[in-house]
Amino acid sequence: MPTFKLDGKEIAFEKGETIIKAAYKQGVEIPHYCWHPGLSVAANCRMCLVEIEPAANQRAMMLDVLVWDAQKKDYVVSKKPKLQPACQMAAAEGMVVKSETSEHVALARKNVQEFLLLNHPVDCPICDQSGECKLQDYYMSEQATPKRMRDEPNHKPKGQVFGPTIVYDAERCIACTRCIRVCEEVIGDPMLDMRERGNLYEIITSPGRQLEGHYTMMTEWVCPVGALTTSHWRHKGRVWLLKGTQSVCPGCATGCNMWVDADARENTAFRNRPRDNEAVNQYWMCDDGMLTYERVYKHRVTTAKIDGEREATAKAIEEASTIVASKGGLAVVLSAQRSVEENMVAVAIAKAAGADLYLTGKASWDGDKILRNADQNPNRAGALKAAGVESLPSVADLVKKSSSYANILVLGEDADVEDLGDLKGKKVVVLATHETSSSWLSVANVVIPIAVWAETDGTFVNAKGMAQAFKRALAPRGEVIPAWEALAKIARQAGHDTGYTKLAEVRAAAAAKGIEAPALKKQDGVAPATGTPQSTV
Amino acid sequence: MAAGTIVIKKPRRTAADQSFVVEIVKGLGVTFKHFFKGLNQMRPGGVRPDVTKFNYEEGIATLQYPEEKKPYARRFRGVHRLTLRPNGDVRCTACLMCSTACPAQCIWIKPAEYPVGHASRGHERFPEEFVIDELRCIFCGYCVEACPVDAIRMDTGIHMTALDDRGSFIFDKKKLMSHVSQDGDQLTANSRPEPGDAEHSGITRLKGH
Amino acid sequence: MITGATFWIATAIKVFAIVFGLVNLGALLLWVERRQSAMIQDRMGPNRASIKLFGKEFRVAGLLHSAADGVKMLWKEDFVPPGADKLLYQLAPVISLVPPLTLFAVIPFGPSIYPDNLRRVFGSEGWNAAASYIPLHISMADSGILVVFAMASSGVLGAALAGSSSDNKFSLLGGLRAASQMVSYEVTMGLSLVGSFMVYQTVRLEQMIQWQVDHAWGIFVQPLAFLLFFTAAVAETKRVPFDAPEGESEIVAGYFTEYQPMKMGMFALGELVEVMTSSALITTIFLGGWQFPFLKLDGFHFELFGIAKPIYMSHLAVVIISAITFIVKVALLVLLQMQIRWTLPRFRYDQIMKLGWRILLPASLINIMLTGIVLLFVNAR
Repeated sequence: MPTFKLDGKEIAFEKGETIIKAAYKQGVEIPHYCWHPGLSVAANCRMCLVEIEPAANQRAMMLDVLVWDAQKKDYVVSKKPKLQPACQMAAAEGMVVKSETSEHVALARKNVQEFLLLNHPVDCPICDQSGECKLQDYYMSEQATPKRMRDEPNHKPKGQVFGPTIVYDAERCIACTRCIRVCEEVIGDPMLDMRERGNLYEIITSPGRQLEGHYTMMTEWVCPVGALTTSHWRHKGRVWLLKGTQSVCPGCATGCNMWVDADARENTAFRNRPRDNEAVNQYWMCDDGMLTYERVYKHRVTTAKIDGEREATAKAIEEASTIVASKGGLAVVLSAQRSVEENMVAVAIAKAAGADLYLTGKASWDGDKILRNADQNPNRAGALKAAGVESLPSVADLVKKSSSYANILVLGEDADVEDLGDLKGKKVVVLATHETSSSWLSVANVVIPIAVWAETDGTFVNAKGMAQAFKRALAPRGEVIPAWEALAKIARQAGHDTGYTKLAEVRAAAAAKGIEAPALKKQDGVAPATGTPQSTV
Repeated sequence: MAAGTIVIKKPRRTAADQSFVVEIVKGLGVTFKHFFKGLNQMRPGGVRPDVTKFNYEEGIATLQYPEEKKPYARRFRGVHRLTLRPNGDVRCTACLMCSTACPAQCIWIKPAEYPVGHASRGHERFPEEFVIDELRCIFCGYCVEACPVDAIRMDTGIHMTALDDRGSFIFDKKKLMSHVSQDGDQLTANSRPEPGDAEHSGITRLKGH
Repeated sequence: MITGATFWIATAIKVFAIVFGLVNLGALLLWVERRQSAMIQDRMGPNRASIKLFGKEFRVAGLLHSAADGVKMLWKEDFVPPGADKLLYQLAPVISLVPPLTLFAVIPFGPSIYPDNLRRVFGSEGWNAAASYIPLHISMADSGILVVFAMASSGVLGAALAGSSSDNKFSLLGGLRAASQMVSYEVTMGLSLVGSFMVYQTVRLEQMIQWQVDHAWGIFVQPLAFLLFFTAAVAETKRVPFDAPEGESEIVAGYFTEYQPMKMGMFALGELVEVMTSSALITTIFLGGWQFPFLKLDGFHFELFGIAKPIYMSHLAVVIISAITFIVKVALLVLLQMQIRWTLPRFRYDQIMKLGWRILLPASLINIMLTGIVLLFVNAR
């Protein structure tokens, strides 16, 4: 592999790669605003200028400049090398690049930074980007001088609504055009554009349109400053109060990697962020995936119920175990929404009790060719693998064969069948998270509140068959307990002991079946130069 | 003995010292002096030094606390107040800096945005709710230090005393806005003019170009 | 002297007056001590206890604090440490309160009253010398001051028992200190008075006063003995500067660490009564007892610069003046003791012992010797 030298460090690159991308892959950041690894090169911010030493057989390209001479008390003519944008300059074998070590580069960055901040409103106290803002970061590392302009800065529209999810602040914008390029290159729908030039520039929506679709939040995600904000996170809190946890999107079978940002003080998640993974979602997520954090607190089932009456969770588990242990035929319904571990325990109960397995989950939705899978369930493949079969009968099949079962144990409340009225009269135990999909809850005798994916560790197997682990981001709220634990307790009390007492044991059993996610390292998905800095505390 | 050494003579106890009697009589003289002075000041009609002022007159120095109070120093950190803009709105922009800086985590703010069409939309936000648990507060003053817009101050001179129940220690926005400083002031010293305000210079995108 | 039923009635009245008076004065002294110490330290002292009558608040210069303390002490839990010796533990406060009260039995607080001759001048015509009289002290025992020593010595028992029965190391240490300190100063206390006995030729207190009325006050005759006895008496009360037995900085509260409110109150009361008793004793032995200067039983006799002008007064007036004089003298001594208590810091334990055995004891022996020599010369003349 060819290499070049960046600040004395050997950087390997593939043919055709730019300097900044090669360095990015090696974990070295060259300051930049407009470049993004997932987008085309615009080279308009001039922040990534680097000094490239001429090859041995070449003459250095030099520029005449005036430099202040303190002794003569006058400007004198001097020379400086012409700097090159690292985002556009293709790397070449043996190239010698100076970034942090060049005084000319440092001066150039300082000046670029000053220009970008000339008309900036510096309203960091009310800006949602503050804390993860490139302008703040580079001000501290590259500029650190007070503003010299004494005039009133330019005023532009603030708080403009671009669409249902995005609000735009023109004063904070640095015209890096990342959002425009996201619309064109990732979404494939040019909804945004720029008008005017110089300090009058402004991002606008295309005439007669607003920013809409399934990927609008990616414009905010790539925005290096606080110009674009989402209406969901806007003015909700501060990023430094959030703690990011490595997670996997439960929204569809794609299994996008993401961060769940939660505030431990309120035990609530406030936003999701895409976690870079070239193999799955690259740098992107859809709007629905970005909003899955709302599942943590919206419409939650937080208390156990027996026949509609509120009960203690322990009591409900006891009741559930008597139902599972009683005679008359037991059907265990696995869930494509729940993690591999939870399905493993359910399968173990079915095996011990001699029950039949069924599979439930959410109904299909509109998929697309970018990220959204038509299957809304994150773990259909994982549930099937846990059961050790190629396919399982659906809930519709269960309704048809309902006469052969007196007792039903359901993992998860989602059902792709609207009406489960035929199952009334059966003893149904539902381990539920949300109250929205009422199909199973309408026939439930016992409801046990279980943790959502963000409240427990687990594994999803996506449509490509990749097993991906996610971590607990929040403490379970209310009287909620993890589903695998609830199932293990039910099994133990029903006399069908699964032998599982720890999540690690379930994971080991899953690994024995060939479902093993690569262990999550602390640095997984923490890229130095993409999007905004990762606020992992 | 090295040069420059200072020799301090051991004090010798005289017979008068050792007999105790003389020294005890001297000591009694001191205490009797104070006793009769205090007695004279405490008799009906006696004049005591004004203990509510910072003076150093001799005599009874007791401060009858709830009835008599020493004025607090100018820097005294009392109960918080939220400063106001000239139009009477709260100055706070709900940036959560105070809440972040607070070591006792006693400040809770729910930020809100001005509606579309409001002159301050985008320029400012405001606290829909601003709650301080004064019982949890340790009166360190970090919130005042952290505030970028002079919206929160502790110059009220109000000493936090016992209230009837814990709930009454939780001060909401309305109560905090009603407090005045020791000088009776309620306005902020940093009323940054925004395009919606009368003091604004008037250069806007449309007018300036 | 009166006899029969009148005697018993008179005695009962005297006992009641003394016990009731002393216990209540003890509470008053608590107030005096608090306010006095406050004045000394430029404070106001406790003044906020109040009582509401007819919608008006009365504070009575803080006097009610003593009453409030009493009420509080009565209402607090009376707790006995599980490991304590129940009987001795309960007995100790009583033992420490009773002796100082008993001491007063022999102290005359006025000249004998002749009920029949109240309006006559003593010794004049019409004075009924045969009439019976009521002595203004309770006990007629010949032992006199020896009763004082006996009772004062038994005061040690209270502290020692309290210390040993509380099942607490601090209490034990306090009790030990109290016992050794009181025993040590008992010696000086007794020996310092031997000189006085030699001069007065009696151990009966009313006769001592009579001697002083006839000749001169004991403080002029026995100045060194006065100092020694005063010091020893202060040490006997176990108050600052001799309060090592309850030194807070070292042994919490000493022998009464484990005592709950009212019993602790009895120790405190005993201490204050002891202050009054010792003052009364010093007054009697060294300050002429109930005698007002120049006042004889029949009136004033100014004998200065050769001028003698007797002012004759009725017996009743003399008795009243004498009794008031006695009370004033005692009060002044009590105040002096209190003043000393708020002037001096606490002696270290070894200092207390050194003072008692190496200074006061030899000094009192020297005092006896000097008195003997002087008496030898005086009597030889």
